[in-house]
Amino acid sequence: MRLMRTPKKVDIAITNRCNLRCRYCYHFEGPGDTGEDLPAEEWLRFFEELNRSAVTEVTLAGGEPFIREDLKEIIDGIVKNRMRFQLLSNGTLIDDNMAAFLASTRRCNFVQVSIDGSMPDSHDAMRGRGSFAKALEGLMTLRRHGVRAAVRVTIHRKNVHDLEGVAKLLLEDIGLSSFGTNSAGAMGLCRKNAEIVQLTTEDRIYAMETLLRLNKKYNDRINAMAGPLAEAKGWLDMEEARLGRKQLTSPVRGYLTGCGCFGQLLAVRADGVFTPCPMLSQIELGRINRDDLGEVWRNHEKLNVLRHRHQIPLSGFAFCEGCEYIDFCTGNCPGLSYSILGEVNHPSPDACLRKFLAEGGRLPDRALLC
Amino acid sequence: MEQKNPIANPLIVLREEFDDWAILFDPDTGNAFGLNPTGVFIWKHLDGKHGVEDIVKSLRDEAEDVPEDAGEHARQFIASLEQQGLVGYEVIAGSPA
Repeated sequence: MRLMRTPKKVDIAITNRCNLRCRYCYHFEGPGDTGEDLPAEEWLRFFEELNRSAVTEVTLAGGEPFIREDLKEIIDGIVKNRMRFQLLSNGTLIDDNMAAFLASTRRCNFVQVSIDGSMPDSHDAMRGRGSFAKALEGLMTLRRHGVRAAVRVTIHRKNVHDLEGVAKLLLEDIGLSSFGTNSAGAMGLCRKNAEIVQLTTEDRIYAMETLLRLNKKYNDRINAMAGPLAEAKGWLDMEEARLGRKQLTSPVRGYLTGCGCFGQLLAVRADGVFTPCPMLSQIELGRINRDDLGEVWRNHEKLNVLRHRHQIPLSGFAFCEGCEYIDFCTGNCPGLSYSILGEVNHPSPDACLRKFLAEGGRLPDRALLC
Repeated sequence: MEQKNPIANPLIVLREEFDDWAILFDPDTGNAFGLNPTGVFIWKHLDGKHGVEDIVKSLRDEAEDVPEDAGEHARQFIASLEQQGLVGYEVIAGSPA
């Protein structure tokens, strides 16, 4: 892997606090939930180092970033240090004043707002009463001020049958150009609440078929990096490859190649500790304003070990023994693997096609693809 | 009007990546422009103290096989940077705008 001198992008959990307690939140009760927030001064000093290191982009997440009273001061620091930014938010704390401020910076790539349903019942089931109306208001406020708003729909047991309504609300009624989807992953609070949150096999089959159908109906305006839509596309490709009808080349298959984060970004927990990714918050690489960013990025042993995980063949895992998809699989997200098994260098059981099929799953009709 | 020396826009980020190649990143637009190693060398000399001739002379001192028409190429390169707002020229107080 050719390594850039510094990361292009840094993902920051700017706070551990949140006004909601969504039942599937990956942050709370996960390794990134450190309980400590750094003062703005620490972040401002760190941004100066990012500037010197030619980092171009910062993601502010949490917790809920808009809960910080000093968020404007922090964003001013990003702007002053020649970077662009995006925020990941539940949307409920965004008001006119904040939206106008974001627009005035001219540096905001987007604000991602979580909208999980087309109505309060399906959204509020996991996020708390009243959160749907506030999130929608936040989304519309951003749009009114010309701030690019991206919507992420997290699919769970209580909204899986509302996908049609969500697509109509977001793409037709509100008029977004697209929206993203994933599903509640086995991390943080979701692990504790798995029985009421995580999709059953039947739910997954339904979600995959429905999302492919909707994506076709709306001309490919629904996207996904993980969750049922991404799985449907990825697994159909793997099946085609198994049947010898398709070649899968990028990323390389048959090895732990499911994650490319380690060559692009570095993450920072709310307590200022560097980690390889927000999904791998237990791997501590140093601390901001104490350890040199470039040194951590280029030379930290733990990070360089992760960068070589793509050389680990799936054939070496008992979990993959005898799998007919082994030559077409990437092992998927190391963060999920760690959360489920306590091992980073292992294929993630959550996104295993063979396991899904063994549990009664079935692949959607290929004709549903765009 | 007197020709001033070119100055890199201080807002633009030079991001050196692999093998002395780099990108120039404009945070206001999000646009990025690729630079080859010669482009990086020129960019680093756009400090308002060096004219194109000085920069090409430094380049000849540093690198081998610099072509005869390097000066013209450097001028065109700097002009294209100027068109994209990445380079400007010093304004002397009292001089015509």
